[in-house]
Amino acid sequence: MSKFKVVHYINQFFGQVGGEEMAHIPAEKRKGPAGPGLAFTKQFKDEAEIVATIVCGDSWFNENLEVATKTVLDMVREESPDLFIAGPAFNAGRYGVACGTICDAVKTELGIPVLTGMYVENPGADMFRTKVLIISTANNAGGMRKAVPAMAKLALKLVKGERIGASVEDGYIPDGVRRNFFDKKRGSTRALEMLLKKIAGKPFETEYPMPTFDRVPPMPAIVDMTKANIAIVTSGGIVPKGNPDRIESSSASKYGSYNIEGVDDLTSETFETAHGGHDPVYANEDADRVIPVDVLRQYEKEGKIGKLHDWFYSTTGNGTAVASAKKYAAEIAEKLHSYEVDAVILTST
Amino acid sequence: MVNFCRLTLGGEQETLHANKYQVVTNNPMVADAFGERCRVVFLEYGSDRDVIETVRDLVHQHHRVLTAPLAGSVKPWETPYRSVMVSTSKGSAIDTTSLELVEFALQIISQSRERLEPTKPSIDRDFQIIDLSLIESALPSVEAIGRV
Amino acid sequence: MKLEVGYIDIKGIRFGDYNAVEDGILIVNPEPLLEPVLEDPLIKSAHFEIATPGESIRITPVKDVIEPRVKVEGSGGVFPGMISKVNTVGSGKTHVLRGMAVVTAGPIVGFQEGIIDMTGVGADYTPFSKLHNLVLVMEPVDNFKQHEYEAAARLAGLRTAVAIGELARDLVPDETVIYETPTVAETFKEEWKHLPRVGYVMMLQSQGLLHDTYVYGVDAKRTLSTMISATEVMDGAIVSGNCVSACDKNTTYHHQNNPVIHDLLAVHGKKINFVGTIITNENVYLDDKIRSSDWTSKMASYLSLDAAIISQEGFGNPDTDLIMNCTKLEKQGIKTVIITDEYAGQDGKSQSLADADELANAVVTGGNANEVVILPPLDRVIGTLDYVDTVAGGHAGSLRPDGSIEAELQIITGATNEMGFNRMSAR
Repeated sequence: MSKFKVVHYINQFFGQVGGEEMAHIPAEKRKGPAGPGLAFTKQFKDEAEIVATIVCGDSWFNENLEVATKTVLDMVREESPDLFIAGPAFNAGRYGVACGTICDAVKTELGIPVLTGMYVENPGADMFRTKVLIISTANNAGGMRKAVPAMAKLALKLVKGERIGASVEDGYIPDGVRRNFFDKKRGSTRALEMLLKKIAGKPFETEYPMPTFDRVPPMPAIVDMTKANIAIVTSGGIVPKGNPDRIESSSASKYGSYNIEGVDDLTSETFETAHGGHDPVYANEDADRVIPVDVLRQYEKEGKIGKLHDWFYSTTGNGTAVASAKKYAAEIAEKLHSYEVDAVILTST
Repeated sequence: MVNFCRLTLGGEQETLHANKYQVVTNNPMVADAFGERCRVVFLEYGSDRDVIETVRDLVHQHHRVLTAPLAGSVKPWETPYRSVMVSTSKGSAIDTTSLELVEFALQIISQSRERLEPTKPSIDRDFQIIDLSLIESALPSVEAIGRV
Repeated sequence: MKLEVGYIDIKGIRFGDYNAVEDGILIVNPEPLLEPVLEDPLIKSAHFEIATPGESIRITPVKDVIEPRVKVEGSGGVFPGMISKVNTVGSGKTHVLRGMAVVTAGPIVGFQEGIIDMTGVGADYTPFSKLHNLVLVMEPVDNFKQHEYEAAARLAGLRTAVAIGELARDLVPDETVIYETPTVAETFKEEWKHLPRVGYVMMLQSQGLLHDTYVYGVDAKRTLSTMISATEVMDGAIVSGNCVSACDKNTTYHHQNNPVIHDLLAVHGKKINFVGTIITNENVYLDDKIRSSDWTSKMASYLSLDAAIISQEGFGNPDTDLIMNCTKLEKQGIKTVIITDEYAGQDGKSQSLADADELANAVVTGGNANEVVILPPLDRVIGTLDYVDTVAGGHAGSLRPDGSIEAELQIITGATNEMGFNRMSAR
């Protein structure tokens, strides 16, 4: 029986090109395994072999997301492999995002099984856990010895089309799909053991994490709207024409603060959307459709509201990690506080 | 006399009724059994979703849900019948518990939508009987108190 | 209460011309056993079949599973208020025919469910595939009323189990275990002071026809939350009248062998102070839910519990009772673990429960009941396959031409039990 063909993606560090100073190098393809690929080869035994290794700088990949994805994808396609693996990336954020991005692209475009590995707090894990399987690893490369066998085992299962076990069995980060498995102990015994830990204040792991609802108690209603200072905050990606802060069309890494003092109407000449998750035509024609500056100005003139705040704050919600969104919100809230804004209109697309 | 109003979707007839509860149902057996007891909103051609949505609309008008929208362990994707008891009186504000219950029920129903298969007449009758029994099981409790 | 339970291991069942247990073999003479069953005017026909672990047999539709027991010493008899007189049970001595069960099978409603496969993939999911089963197959008369026939079938099963249990009265048990539950005063004794006070909240399905549970013969939906001794439960104080939701209904067998009770008793006085068991219903009427969960939490605080395990029965609105019970205890500072199961869809991607709360942070799951399983064709069917396409978890086309069945796990009796009877879980 011939071996399954595998292509492996690693960054410049694991490709032994160099550290951060070499993170700018574009993707290059090498024949056979390299770096952690040698450990994978050992684990694969006679069943699979790494036919090519793609080494890519983390900065280059993340700063040229579209081009980089296409470049790497083409390199993978040339090999017509049976399986694609990336990493493990441990806690390296940009490496993790690259692994997730390229795995997702290979899976979608080439339709072959993919697998990566990272630490659960790697931002790439949060972004891609429901899209590609990610083996849960330690937070540094010291975890390589454990990560490789776990990845190799699941990779072989995937390429052979075998049934995937539950996350606790196969060691991947929960992917949002509930899978049954037979535990070692019966449910009542597991319940008792969990209860004993909970009583003792020790850490315990629920078998089903409740869906969390981040509820915020509403503020008391504004008594007098005619004196209220109203601000606009949007995840609809409205930015001044030309997108001066280069807010990404998806997975935004920042938000922008834009002055609208004296602006009565947003026009196609002055404002546009940076958002890549919806058809931008209508937003670009008239950005008031996303953030109603024109109407609020009119209300201001009519005395219905006290004032429209001089700044609006904008980011793209498309694919942006919840953790990032929370961070931006905290910063924006502080600014709003310092300007004594009374109420905010939040818009999205 | 059977005291229920047949509703076609979208239209509603108001009938005055002294009772403290009303029943929203798409089950003819429940409509018959409760017709003389209370106001029945009978969605003759309605789906289980239509029943729950009608209940949701009543909740938004400050009525309170009195019985679990997903009563019974007959799964939503098996039985086409749903019956829910709702207060006749209105509160001064929306009852959040009622709202949460109907919204959760709608979520469960929507995730199982495509699995509902048309059933044989004999089984259809059995589904009606079970649904009737579930809603009837609330009667002693609802009759026991003065107002709901 | 102190109950001595003598277990007599049953290694096989065969038909014969008398009824007895000899050398671990149950010998069944059907005629005298069927006589009282057939006296019921609602039961048209009844017969016994034997299913042994590993045999190529599929039993369906299953109504209840019952373990034969007999009260040898002490007050009352098994299934008090239902078969025996209503006197309090749970003390003295009880004999158990371990390793076997009486299984009731046959149609009640058109969508009746419940499969027990004695071999193959399906056997892995049901605990009853490991038992020697004496199956009582019944058929109703024409034009029966469902609730009347449910009662008739329920009583027929219980009566049969009692008659079989009676055969164990004078036998010498293979193993004897003494179970003892303390009084409230005893739970405060000095040597247990350092142990956490743990209770068990057992939720009982009680919504109406085919969804009912009986406690000492009382329909649980007409009860307030109350206390029961673990040993009373072992003597059959709680009986299942539940015929839907095969995977997560608690059969009478589950009650008799409640795993939470057994696990708590096993560490009582060592790791925990097992103070008591609270039973509470799962009604349709919302005020009943509020009242019952309020009473559960009142009783838990009355007992000064530090922690509790809460077990559930059924799916859908019982999730609301479960979350109410859990949050009301947690808000009083009583730490909880809940045992439930999931309906996350065939793809495993949907919301698992019909209710949720972040206070329910310790959950044990019996698995996703929607997961699809393919049961191979088996040589013999006890009961009928007529219902497979319409039972819960089945769908049109479930029963395939070769006799195999493609269905969700919820079709299998006891597969995702919410007392934690099984090893199955999900992530």
